[in-house]
Amino acid sequence: MALLEIKNLHAEIDGSEILKGIDLTVNAGEVHAIMGPNGSGKSTLCHVLGGRDGYEVTQGTITFDGHDLLEMETEERAIAGMLLGFQHPVEIPGVKNIYLLKEALNAKREAQGLEEIDTFTFMKQVRELVASMDMDDAFLHRGVNAGFSGGEKKRNEILQMLLLEPKLALLDETDSGLDIDALKVVSDGINRMRGEARGIILVTHYQRLLNYVEPDMVHVLYKGKIIKSGDKTLAHRLEAEGYQEILQEAS
Amino acid sequence: MNRTGLPDWLSDALPERAAAPTEIAEAARHQVETIGLPGLRDEEWRWTNLRAIQRGRFHAPSGVGADVEPSTRLPLDNPLRLRFVDGAFQGVPDDLPEGVAITALADADEATRAAAFSPKPAPSVENPNDALVTLNTAMAREGVVVDVAANAIVERPIVIEWLDGATESTMSHPRVLIRLGESASATLIEHVETVGEKPAWRNSVIVSSIAANAALTHIALGLDGESRLSTTRTFAALERDARYHSHNVQLGGRMIRREYDVHVGGTGAHTDLIGLMMPHGKQLLDTHTRITHAAADTTSNEHYRTIADDAGRGVFKGRILIEQDAQRIEAYQSSNNLILSDDAEIDAKPELEIYADDVSCSHGATIGRLDQEALFYLRTRGIALDEARGLLIAGFAQEVIDELPIPALRDWLTTRVEQRLNDRSLPVDSDA
Repeated sequence: MALLEIKNLHAEIDGSEILKGIDLTVNAGEVHAIMGPNGSGKSTLCHVLGGRDGYEVTQGTITFDGHDLLEMETEERAIAGMLLGFQHPVEIPGVKNIYLLKEALNAKREAQGLEEIDTFTFMKQVRELVASMDMDDAFLHRGVNAGFSGGEKKRNEILQMLLLEPKLALLDETDSGLDIDALKVVSDGINRMRGEARGIILVTHYQRLLNYVEPDMVHVLYKGKIIKSGDKTLAHRLEAEGYQEILQEAS
Repeated sequence: MNRTGLPDWLSDALPERAAAPTEIAEAARHQVETIGLPGLRDEEWRWTNLRAIQRGRFHAPSGVGADVEPSTRLPLDNPLRLRFVDGAFQGVPDDLPEGVAITALADADEATRAAAFSPKPAPSVENPNDALVTLNTAMAREGVVVDVAANAIVERPIVIEWLDGATESTMSHPRVLIRLGESASATLIEHVETVGEKPAWRNSVIVSSIAANAALTHIALGLDGESRLSTTRTFAALERDARYHSHNVQLGGRMIRREYDVHVGGTGAHTDLIGLMMPHGKQLLDTHTRITHAAADTTSNEHYRTIADDAGRGVFKGRILIEQDAQRIEAYQSSNNLILSDDAEIDAKPELEIYADDVSCSHGATIGRLDQEALFYLRTRGIALDEARGLLIAGFAQEVIDELPIPALRDWLTTRVEQRLNDRSLPVDSDA
């Protein structure tokens, strides 16, 4: 059974159709890259998968790990194992990172019928992850993303993923705007998440990320549809030839 | 029909002998009988009416309070407690720290009482028609004087416990004078609690003078107690390099009006005015602040937050006046407000009046609901909608709590605010 199966997905926002029939299957253990120019529908797809208000699905189905995803609230999707990494992680001053991490982990544990994690185990685990993301412990006691640089915000997204261990990680332009050091740390985090039981979708604008995280499949999204899919060599072609060639070929 | 501008019951309660020096008391008495209590026509009282007081028929208590204790224990290290029960001062503690002198107002000498009741408690205060301060001057029989000697660093917090409502329908008009000598440092905490269930009204005035290079931290904690009515005024006069740090946390009470007049009168002086008000039920919580920069190279930082729930009302008005000769001023003010229900109301009004030209000044007021983007973010982490709302509201309050200088008090207040938020019933389908 596929981990994620999207069939003929149409979605609109404020009455205008953005996604115009997307089909996509992601199996556990696979890394998929979805690439596309600005306005192709990449972020809309992420928001629809995340269950954001304001996006209306007019046709199609999404099945996630055997659940009808469109019937689930945003938090239910997260608890079922789908985690969304934001293109622009939100700043929440006043809510400490450490608190968010603990609440999120315990929400998941509660759904699994587990007890709340004990503070000692939790802190040990979190500190190791913080170090692995080349971050400072002090960050844990700052407000969520409050005053973080772009790179710190993206590291924080990966840190949350590493702690929460989703079945499917959906990363929306996690690489955008990162300098090379941050990109290496972020890519390294993504590579550590790779595993038999986990699917990863990298939504990206730039081929560069794929030099560090090698995808199993690459899809080109254009005007709300996936117009071409292939292996990692497709990403290299995009880099070399640009979107235009591929678009012509597809049409 | 009223014989005077005051309700009859209040006029009748004016004492023969007040704590103020005779001349000051008589002038105040005459004045307040003429002008009466403030009404909605008064610009400063547009959003807050005193009807509950006008109709209250309060009486002044006589000798109460020996056995009244607060129900809340603040997490403070060896505090020096000055207890007032329905405005009656319960006596000077025995174990005063070095450099601290405390005198019951009734026992103070004439000059001290004249300072406590000065019609001009700070050079910039020219408000002869202020009825409530004048009423306090005319009515006050009790109060306390705190003197901190020059260079004394007082570690023990000085706590004024206002325990209101021990007897039914009482009013009180206590007066506090606190004077810090040069380079002294002290923390004054007002612990405000209602000990009875019947309405009580306290109209108190705190006059503080902060000498050169001295620092006063003044924390006001208005705790739960739904029947309390209070109108309070604080004056702070700062000399050169003095600091006045005010933290005003208002959680309880039926109608609470606090006013701060801070006169930043000496070069290098600084003031912070930090506040958190959380009106719910039918509470009205109101703070008016006036900062006057009267000297060059002075700074102020003001940060108020209000969270209004149910049919609660919050009022914040912050005035900053920069006088003509006060150059190189930095004055920042922000007022951020969160409305959690359709019936709640918040009025926020910044006022800047600048006569100098070399000034860096900013102000901003926001009133809104919870950030939808932040709610979505938390939910994508598996946090349920209600809980996500709770986190955001608590986080909004936390940013102000974090500015409190006493860590144990900070943690205590965080828990207190969380309890308040847990008790609220969140409608499942509301955006608020």
